Amino acid sequence: MMRFVLSRLTHSLMVLFGVSLLTFAFLKLAPGDYFEQMRMNPQISPGEVAALRAAYGLDRSLPVTYLLWVKSVLRGNLGFSFAFNSPVWPLLKVRAANTLLLTLTALLGSWLLAVPWGVWAAARHGGWLDRVSSLVTASLLAIPDVLIALALLALALRTGWFPAGGMHSLAAESLGAAARWRDLVWHLALPVLALIAGLLPVQIWHVRSALLEVLDAPFIRAARGHGIPPGRLLFRHVLPVAANPLISLFGVSIGTLLSGSLLIEVVMSWPGIGPLLLQAILERDVYVVVAAVLCSTAFLVTGNLLADVLLHVVDPRIRAM
Amino acid sequence: MLSRPPALGAQSEDLLVTTGEAGRVGGRLVASWHSEPKTANPAIALDVVSKELITLLDADLIHINLATQRTEPALAKSWAVSDGGRRYVLELRQGLRFSDGQPFDADDVVFSFNLYLDPKVDSPQRDLLMVGGKPIKVLKLGPYRVEFDFAQPYAAAERIFDGVAILPRHLLEQDYENGKINQAWAISSAPGSIAGLGPFRLKQYVPGQQVVLERNPNYWKVDAARHRLPYLDEIVFLIVPTEDAEVIRFEAGDLDLLEKVGADNYALLEREGGAHGYRLFNLGPGMEYDFLFFNLNDLSAKHLPEIVRKQEWFRRREFRQAVSLAIDREAIVRLVYRGNATPIWTQVTPGNKMWVDEAIPHPARSLEKALELLRLGGFTRRADGTLTDSQGAPVEFSILTNPSNAQRSKMATLIQRDLSQLGMRVNLVSMEFQALMARAFDSYDYEATLLGLVSGDADPNPEINVWTSTGGTHVWALAEVHPLPPWQTELDSLMQSQTALLDFAARKAAYDRVQQIVAEEDPVICLVSPNVLAATKAGLEGLEPSVMRNYLLWNADRLYWR
Repeated sequence: MMRFVLSRLTHSLMVLFGVSLLTFAFLKLAPGDYFEQMRMNPQISPGEVAALRAAYGLDRSLPVTYLLWVKSVLRGNLGFSFAFNSPVWPLLKVRAANTLLLTLTALLGSWLLAVPWGVWAAARHGGWLDRVSSLVTASLLAIPDVLIALALLALALRTGWFPAGGMHSLAAESLGAAARWRDLVWHLALPVLALIAGLLPVQIWHVRSALLEVLDAPFIRAARGHGIPPGRLLFRHVLPVAANPLISLFGVSIGTLLSGSLLIEVVMSWPGIGPLLLQAILERDVYVVVAAVLCSTAFLVTGNLLADVLLHVVDPRIRAM
Repeated sequence: MLSRPPALGAQSEDLLVTTGEAGRVGGRLVASWHSEPKTANPAIALDVVSKELITLLDADLIHINLATQRTEPALAKSWAVSDGGRRYVLELRQGLRFSDGQPFDADDVVFSFNLYLDPKVDSPQRDLLMVGGKPIKVLKLGPYRVEFDFAQPYAAAERIFDGVAILPRHLLEQDYENGKINQAWAISSAPGSIAGLGPFRLKQYVPGQQVVLERNPNYWKVDAARHRLPYLDEIVFLIVPTEDAEVIRFEAGDLDLLEKVGADNYALLEREGGAHGYRLFNLGPGMEYDFLFFNLNDLSAKHLPEIVRKQEWFRRREFRQAVSLAIDREAIVRLVYRGNATPIWTQVTPGNKMWVDEAIPHPARSLEKALELLRLGGFTRRADGTLTDSQGAPVEFSILTNPSNAQRSKMATLIQRDLSQLGMRVNLVSMEFQALMARAFDSYDYEATLLGLVSGDADPNPEINVWTSTGGTHVWALAEVHPLPPWQTELDSLMQSQTALLDFAARKAAYDRVQQIVAEEDPVICLVSPNVLAATKAGLEGLEPSVMRNYLLWNADRLYWR
């Protein structure tokens, strides 16, 4: 088990290294840099812009900059933001925590909905309820996440049932712990719903098809023939066997959720990595972009690692490999 | 609006008494920013949001009133000019305190200017404080008297002090001496470590969410009823990443004002505003303008033969004039800005009331006149309508735009349609803004570009780098071909001479001539100036909206809730 985890960890580190190199190279090779926009300011001379470029090391070559950055990462420093004139990690950690809160809540919510919904749909395979379920999930899949987010915002605006963005109310500071918690949940509701709506159809389809495949297997037919009650059959025999593809999907869904959440965060003013990353890309704040992309990749590889470990635990065939 | 304070006791503060209606003390105003301020340190602030924050936290010696666009006393209560405009002696207000309670005097002024002028600090303010290529000299004459010496007479000397924040020496001297001034006053610094002379002080910064400012109890302005300003207890800035999200939150009641909205959202608020009682402000053309320019750089050192070939057309005045005449500016105003913009033919917008030359002609769109000009320039139209040059080559070029600016992308499409009616084939190339900048400013690998500029001040001086051939923002020809065309030589001479003309009428005449040359020669083809559009909730009073940034909040010290 330990060897398996170590091998997956090494693999994850290589992925992180590759992603950092590619992100760095793309950003450095693209024309223009953070100080380019200052060229349109008539009050700042080209000499001043050149001096600022030199002061922030932007006049160095790509390999030199990358090696210096790797060296600083090994010392625990993810780089320096030109825009904030500050190390990147303090900027990122608060926002990464907000993004994690949003995505993990959405992930939990989506699986809590997808498993019973998928089981329910599989149990009614071919019936009109299954068809209605397929229609609903197909429609959800066809609607872009941004449109769902905008529709939810419109709902918030028209009804006043939910806040129209942000993470806390202005008065949150003065509230007690319980009221502050309720305020946070109230603000989480719409972005989480938007994320769930984007993720749920795929999860339901996977649960449904994994279950259908197992329900049709000869050993289940035999078990059914032996008179095992449907509930026991489902929970004791079908779900454990159908779990494998769902565990793999769990790892992938973290990545899907993260890429979706960046967009939802911008639209719904959620103070996560999304708005910071968007701003950093527009401004070419290289180290913030690299660190934010690395952070997202780290979430993704952690999700995959968790899925791999879970598979290793539940499936004896993988342990035997 | 402002008047001198009445005589005060020896121990009292030398406060500035504002005139006008007295407001009501208290309340909170909630506004928004698209991005977070990056710093509260005026010595290194580059982005618009940080600068906006700094105007609320800090104060300057002489201030530009954005409603009148003229200078008025601020921390300096009076000043005397001598030595033919080279020497300014400023009398400072006495008894004032920074927001942390420490006293303000001439040492803070000398410290601030020396810090901004120090080449080691690399402050973006430094270029502003260079006159005739030399730094301004600052000398303390007494605890409340400071002398400023300019290398040459400088027409806009008073305006140079606007926006130069006076820093507390007691808080920043140590960092400056240790070479750490650039790390001081990061936005995440403890609010108590930041102090200024502005109407507000930093209370809280929540990363990615909000910045809260509270009233500075030591602010140096009072109203006619002797109430110390500002009226508002707090200003909260929520970080809302997009304009659409801002409008939604305004409509949801989370925001009290929108400092600037686009034409589409303004139309939406106009439709829905009646029911909600919003106050909408259409302030007319601002200081921003959109323009098209052709690549007139000297490309002899670059390997861009195709562009060099097309420069034969671009350098012809008739060609540029024909393009200008063929563009339907009214259609841009109507279709891109929903009527909320003004067509322009030169660089000074009608929003700049003091400097605009009203005599500049506004020729109506005319394809006939444009074709006549092209004929005079050696161009002909084939039977199929294609415009060709004297060698028989079809006239085809590309315009660079950045897709992040939706208005400019729409504008480019309209220009493409307009010029096709002359037989020109125009291709639109969209690219990310930084990449576009790199082409325009470094590689010169472009044929034509559509961009916008915002004048930071009504005065012509900040524009000197745009219109002189050696200026760093001389976008159409950063590398000029020599000898210079006569009109460029005249532009150079006019822009240089106006900086030293102390007589307003003479200066205005010189700058009028600059505007005439731009309108006649079309080195850049000025198109439209968008209106400044804003909105507030009903009940917010004391507003004196300006077409210059910060449009609604420039006089935040006098805003109050009814």
